Amino acid sequence: MEYMALLIFFGLMLAIAFVFVFVNTLLGPKSSEALQDYPYECGVPLYDKSAQSTFHQGYYLLGLLLLLFDIEAAFLFPWAVVYRYLGIFGFIEIFLFLLILTYGLLYAWRRGALNWQFEEESL
Amino acid sequence: MEGLVIWLIVTFVKILVILGIVLGVGAYLTLVERKVAAHIQRRPGPMVVGWHGLLQPLADGLKLLTKEDLFPRYGNRFLYNLALVLALVPATLVFAVIPFGPEFEVFGVKVKPILTDVNIGLLLVFALGSMAVFAIALAGWASNSKYALIGSMRKAGIVISYEVVITFAAMGPLILAGTLSTYHIVQSQIEQGLWYVWLQPIAFVVYMFAMLAETGRVPFDIQEAEAELVTGFTVEYGGMKFGLFPLVEWYIEVLSLSAIAVVLFLGGWSPINIPFLGFVDPLFFLGPLSPFIWFILKVSLLFLFVLWLHWTLPRYRIDQITETAWKVMLPLTLLNILLTAILAPILWR
Repeated sequence: MEYMALLIFFGLMLAIAFVFVFVNTLLGPKSSEALQDYPYECGVPLYDKSAQSTFHQGYYLLGLLLLLFDIEAAFLFPWAVVYRYLGIFGFIEIFLFLLILTYGLLYAWRRGALNWQFEEESL
Repeated sequence: MEGLVIWLIVTFVKILVILGIVLGVGAYLTLVERKVAAHIQRRPGPMVVGWHGLLQPLADGLKLLTKEDLFPRYGNRFLYNLALVLALVPATLVFAVIPFGPEFEVFGVKVKPILTDVNIGLLLVFALGSMAVFAIALAGWASNSKYALIGSMRKAGIVISYEVVITFAAMGPLILAGTLSTYHIVQSQIEQGLWYVWLQPIAFVVYMFAMLAETGRVPFDIQEAEAELVTGFTVEYGGMKFGLFPLVEWYIEVLSLSAIAVVLFLGGWSPINIPFLGFVDPLFFLGPLSPFIWFILKVSLLFLFVLWLHWTLPRYRIDQITETAWKVMLPLTLLNILLTAILAPILWR
């Protein structure tokens, strides 16, 4: 029952989002300039039609780190909720868990994964 | 059957209130921001449309609505529009689990001023918060324009770095409260007579940093960086589509994350707290309205703090931002979790 309200709200927001997507097509004027849908690049003709191949590969590294640590965070949620009832067992357990996590962080740090913006030779 | 009808009516009223906050207040915050910015720089700000520019958001909205719908020619139209939906829907759904005040009674019906008091409220907040990165990455990717792509990649990098940090920072109050339901987190703060910010100063500061980074506010607005990237991933969006991204990013998300900060650290709707002694309420004369006023007051103070930072601090580089997240903030939050785990049993006793 609690989730029904969330579902109704979700449906409503989806409808509103679709309104936002199509409202300009309905209300806006239509003109046909030859270059009006040309990708913006300060008025210079495009060197390369596609931009999708030219981003920094270091972002992959950040993505990998996120995968590692966000999943660990998901493990911490249930522990945090029931910590009151776990006592000393819960504490030692999470101490070891965080120790391993910190070790992973230090490893990534040591290997230079956190200096992801720069190439190896410039370091 | 009657119970169902009442439930439906109550739910729809709540949804309308949230929609009012999201679209109405959200739109008017643009005016607040411009006014605050203007007065910090000693200029009057918008003055022409309405009294002291009060109708300015409406004029802006009308202008955005009547713009032509342009689409970059090498882009992917489906993903381009999907990014918009993915930006708006999760950001507003967060409001479903924000408690605005304590339970009250109207016409014999008990109403909790929270859309759904689900027992995994906070988990929902972070799950929906993680969805934001899809919208940003898709917006830049689908536009197929260089500025948009650079902006969206930067923002995605920042968001995924601080997503980790904000989750770990929220873990401290979670341990103390022992529940994921936002409503009960506030209630346990009231029962324990303690705003969690007193025990979690590190987590609170880290949370504020992460909030600024996730919403792309100064000093972490490198994805927008108007001097070099124009407006980042929204370059190729026009009309209302362009209006929606800043609305979601700068206003709706700042509001929802401030509200979550208030819930986690500043005791939700409770009045001023003296640690371990109790609460002092200078607004007692407002009677049953005072908790709501307190909640709104705290959220708006946090929002004004964010605006104030905008006109005070310079902008950081992308690598400085992400490296701060991993090298400073994350170790701090890990330490904070450990400290809280030691402190919490003393508090419960």
